[in-house]
Amino acid sequence: MLAALAGTAGGVSGLCGPFIDVPDTPFCRSILEIFTLGITVGTTPTTYTPDGVVNRLQAAVLLSRTIDSVLDRGSRAAALGQFWNPGNPAVLGYTTLPFRPISVKADGENIWVSNPPAVSRVRASDGKLLESWTGAPDAEFLLVAMGKVFVTGLNGSLYQVDPAQPAGSVTAVVTGLGAHPFRIAYDGGRIWTANINPGSISIISPGPSIPWTATTITAGFTDPNGILYDGSHIWVTEFQSGLLKKVGPSGAVLQTVTLEKDIGRPAFDGANLWVPTFNQAVLIVRAADGRLVTKLRENELIGPSIAAFDGRRMLIWNADFSAISLWRASDMTPIGAVAPPSDVVTDICSDGLHFWLALPNAGQIARF
Amino acid sequence: MNRSARVATIFALVLAAVLAGGAGTALLGICGPFTDVSDPSFCNFVIEIFVLGITTGTTPTTFDPAAPVSRLQMAALLSRTVDATLARGGRRAALDQLWVTQGAENLGLTVVGSGPVDVRSDGSDIWVACGGADSVTRVHASTGRSLESWSGAAAASSVIPAMGRVVVTGSTAPGRLFSIDPGQPAGAVTTVASSLGSFPGAITFDGGHFWTANQAGSVSIVTPAAAPPWDVTNVTSGFQAPAGILFDSANVWVTDAGAGSLVKLDSAGSILETVTVGSSPRHPAYDGANIWVPDELSDSVSVVRAATGALLRTLTGNALSHPLAAAFDGQRILVTSPSGDRVSLWKAADLTPIGSFSTGAASSPHGACSDGINFWITLGSNQLARF
Repeated sequence: MLAALAGTAGGVSGLCGPFIDVPDTPFCRSILEIFTLGITVGTTPTTYTPDGVVNRLQAAVLLSRTIDSVLDRGSRAAALGQFWNPGNPAVLGYTTLPFRPISVKADGENIWVSNPPAVSRVRASDGKLLESWTGAPDAEFLLVAMGKVFVTGLNGSLYQVDPAQPAGSVTAVVTGLGAHPFRIAYDGGRIWTANINPGSISIISPGPSIPWTATTITAGFTDPNGILYDGSHIWVTEFQSGLLKKVGPSGAVLQTVTLEKDIGRPAFDGANLWVPTFNQAVLIVRAADGRLVTKLRENELIGPSIAAFDGRRMLIWNADFSAISLWRASDMTPIGAVAPPSDVVTDICSDGLHFWLALPNAGQIARF
Repeated sequence: MNRSARVATIFALVLAAVLAGGAGTALLGICGPFTDVSDPSFCNFVIEIFVLGITTGTTPTTFDPAAPVSRLQMAALLSRTVDATLARGGRRAALDQLWVTQGAENLGLTVVGSGPVDVRSDGSDIWVACGGADSVTRVHASTGRSLESWSGAAAASSVIPAMGRVVVTGSTAPGRLFSIDPGQPAGAVTTVASSLGSFPGAITFDGGHFWTANQAGSVSIVTPAAAPPWDVTNVTSGFQAPAGILFDSANVWVTDAGAGSLVKLDSAGSILETVTVGSSPRHPAYDGANIWVPDELSDSVSVVRAATGALLRTLTGNALSHPLAAAFDGQRILVTSPSGDRVSLWKAADLTPIGSFSTGAASSPHGACSDGINFWITLGSNQLARF
């Protein structure tokens, strides 16, 4: 092994891999690790300069490459040897649902699909449709939490599926939410819905008996269409006003970030919110301080409307059907743009290995 | 477009950055907000650690690229790098499940056999040793469905999926070891050994042998064979009341509740190293670097570095009340406190408390494990909770 490494240095065998200036001490193992991972290449092909001082720029390079190599190695895709990105719609895996799918959400093993009036469970590993619950004629968006599956009803309901029970009818755990509950999020204690018209958010507290209690808040909201929880706060996007709002536990707006009009569905990558706007851009907002850190416009963005994150990659679906745009999330490097299925996409999720797209007109979901 | 040109393009398109509260401040620099990173081939790296919050620069518009990094600064950079990498790489991030379960109303509950004690994930299903029912229940993690139950596991006390099987201890005198073949229809367990030290209450596997911690004062090393009985070696020397056991990928470690110690064993079961921890240490967890030991009678958790055996810190507070079992999910450590009806969470990377959370009145949380997405906790007389 060491000889092979040294071979890259023109046959010069160093004391520590290719390096002739690092003694074979316990430090050698660490240096070889970051060499084989490509985190460092040394100061020359045969020297590492162990006593050299690292400046801030060099530190940035080392840390950036460390993050990338750890995420690449630690991903499920690496363990399963699935490093590819699909090249065209024909190679996607399709599952046909009983009705027109609207929303998809992964629970780690299955993909849940709202296809009103049904809510269906699809096995992620083989795409097999396993079972369907019925009784949700206005089902919209999904949440997997508390061992249950929740789905918003456009007419003001929140439905629950208990996947531990045999498939049957969904249960309405609350009705009378703000008009047109749309997207849905969970903070570990309560369920939040973004209600688009008239604009409000609802906070639902699970309880021992049905109906659960809900509080609907209109102050501060005009047309919320996206909502997510970043581990500390709820964030709400407002469609036409182009605002991103950080929300406190009571539903009060803590911070407003002005973005651009016509905001699509955002995704959180563990540090930043990726907010697509139909105005041909994806805006990156750091969750820790609400700072707009950059704006992406390339990589075939034409009407970007839905973002989803799989642990390494960010996927953006473009509403003009021209492309699915993929980025490496860590440094926002474009991976490329792929031709999408010729159908509108209403929701996207990831199970940590694949992305899943809801294709209502085809009555299908697609594994990407 | 090459990398540097791409980066230049991205940031040429940054018209203005909007600060918190909508206060607009132009942040257009040569490289993101930074005006002093002039070499475009390095910009991508700087931007990556900037957007991840690993650095904020030396001022809002400068990065000071040529300045040396002190050891203190490097520690901060590395710590934030670890946090950012774990936050992104965890399964919870990909599944959009970044919450911490807040209380009893938010648990997902599944009824299992009576007297559930230990619990372990095989990656897809959760296996629960139910000592009151002499059975083992298999629960489908994604749906929470109770799939099947295996009978005949007398005084089932701990469980481990390994070798494509599920192996279970029976806390009897002498102790027993049972095996389940999950590929077969559920039925009775197979007894593979019945001469373990008395009252085994915890089990681990080192890739070749099963190891059990036996409360009556021994450790058993069991070698699997093609057919039962499996060979058993009982080691008593140096042990008072072993309560918990784990394998850290190099060595087996045992908590001795009688001695108040954590001991490292060699491949023959001899004690290589003894670490004094709190009173009555119970079921520990390993986070990839450190061993977290719940000290039942000290209301503390001892954190021990596996590589050196050094006691890094003794954690108290965070609602610890006779803590019993620890579990690790890739980012967080969870510790059960049966007498407090609560679980306590810490961020494993820097040992900071996340908080404590109720599992319900008289729920008596006991054993715990993680499947990488949720923690699973045995509760009360017959329940398994998804946390």
